[in-house]
Amino acid sequence: MGYVRGLRCRECGSEYPPVRLTVCEQCFGPLEVSYELAAVRESFRRDALSSRPRDLWRYRELLPVFDGSAEDGLRPGFTPLRRGRNLEEALGLREIWIKDDTVNPTYSFKDRPVAVAVAKAREWGLTAIGCASTGNLAAATAAAAAKARLPCYVFAPAALEATKLLLPRLYGATLVPVDGTYDDANRVALLAADARGWGFVNINLRPYYAEGSKTLLYETWEQLGFDLPDVIVTPLGSGLLLTSIDKAIRELRELGEIDGETARLVGTQPQGCAPIVRGFESPDGRPRPVKKPDTIVESLAIGDPASGTEAVQIMRRTRGFADAPTDAEILEGLELLARTEGVFSEPAGGTTVATLKRARADGRIDRDERVVLLITGNGLKAPGVWADRYPEITPVPPTSAAVDAFLGGTRHG
Amino acid sequence: MVKLVLASPIAVATQGQREINVEFEGTLGQLFDVLTNAYGPQFRQRIFDGSGSLKRFVNVYINGEDARYLQGLETVVARDATIDLLPAIAGG
Repeated sequence: MGYVRGLRCRECGSEYPPVRLTVCEQCFGPLEVSYELAAVRESFRRDALSSRPRDLWRYRELLPVFDGSAEDGLRPGFTPLRRGRNLEEALGLREIWIKDDTVNPTYSFKDRPVAVAVAKAREWGLTAIGCASTGNLAAATAAAAAKARLPCYVFAPAALEATKLLLPRLYGATLVPVDGTYDDANRVALLAADARGWGFVNINLRPYYAEGSKTLLYETWEQLGFDLPDVIVTPLGSGLLLTSIDKAIRELRELGEIDGETARLVGTQPQGCAPIVRGFESPDGRPRPVKKPDTIVESLAIGDPASGTEAVQIMRRTRGFADAPTDAEILEGLELLARTEGVFSEPAGGTTVATLKRARADGRIDRDERVVLLITGNGLKAPGVWADRYPEITPVPPTSAAVDAFLGGTRHG
Repeated sequence: MVKLVLASPIAVATQGQREINVEFEGTLGQLFDVLTNAYGPQFRQRIFDGSGSLKRFVNVYINGEDARYLQGLETVVARDATIDLLPAIAGG
């Protein structure tokens, strides 16, 4: 049974054994995995961690997987934490770190939660898996399914970027291209999975799936020399990444691994789809659903985010904040990250950079705070957003004269 | 005939019944009154919060349209409508 105690409702506190449950049976609230932390403390030791594999199973005591064969999967995680000295100079901050999840097996952080969800699907002998996706999860689920030899069904808006629709098909999944928004795709996916008994990673395997995202925080903590930053800036789609980061911090605290101030958790969404940010700004803290998202940031275009209310509560509790930059600011953020640090992110990462820039300018983040940016997906997945800024190139003839003319007579080197 | 489809987690409110066909005309709120008569007060306790609103963890769709984007419980339900009751879990 590993170190898992059971499932606990985040809303009403009802407890369950660690079985296949989607939501709380009492109030339909979200469930989270709880652990026997006293037992975890025995083997989760800093000196022991250093000799473990450099992937997310490094933190296995705090993941709800009992079957060792889970480690035969794609083994995502332990991605670089890069010091952003050029970005610090550009933005006038003392210390910025970039948690670079663009280099996971399918180029986004989604490989982490999927690794855990697919391990559970295998434990329970499910016959097929799938997901509803804005793009990144589609590839992650399809690739993990291929490795686990499970059929896979991916529901996604048909209007997504071509690359995001290509990848799941390439990995062998059946793509259901839904003529509608992400929320439409999610609704029909839920009904399809429910009727067929399939395991959909972000729907009926969700309590376990969410656990995988915690490893982003465990790694950051370890890579900072077993310390937390002052601020973590994270993109918000459903809000589940932020709630998972918070859970990871709470667990480390309960284990006695961290004390003192917690990190301020900052969430960011594009202005054209900012239901959680609008909830943060309103007295009742309730997200404001967006029927038709209008943004280039497809991966965050979730109009009715499931974990929005909790994300708002956590941002308030940790003295963080929520912010919604424009698409233009997001593109500038992406360019800034690429041109200062050599990291090419998909638009969600531009959202985090843009928020850092805005918050530094208006004082919501102080220059002396140590900031970690979560860069959660690779820019190669969303080339279409650059069509206006990078128009088609004109070939240069292969002669020195033509090159000189192209360079405007400037000699380099 | 109005067709109701309940995702299995929500079907605890209807003693496990996941598909219900009912002759009905009226608003969504009145439809829930009919279901409360059929499945007892525990149906209402499961689906509604203390203030008489739908619980925030339950999403109701009328012919695929989220009731919150329509007129909520005041939305008129057509005689041949399909109503989905799903747990509010969207996004990864």
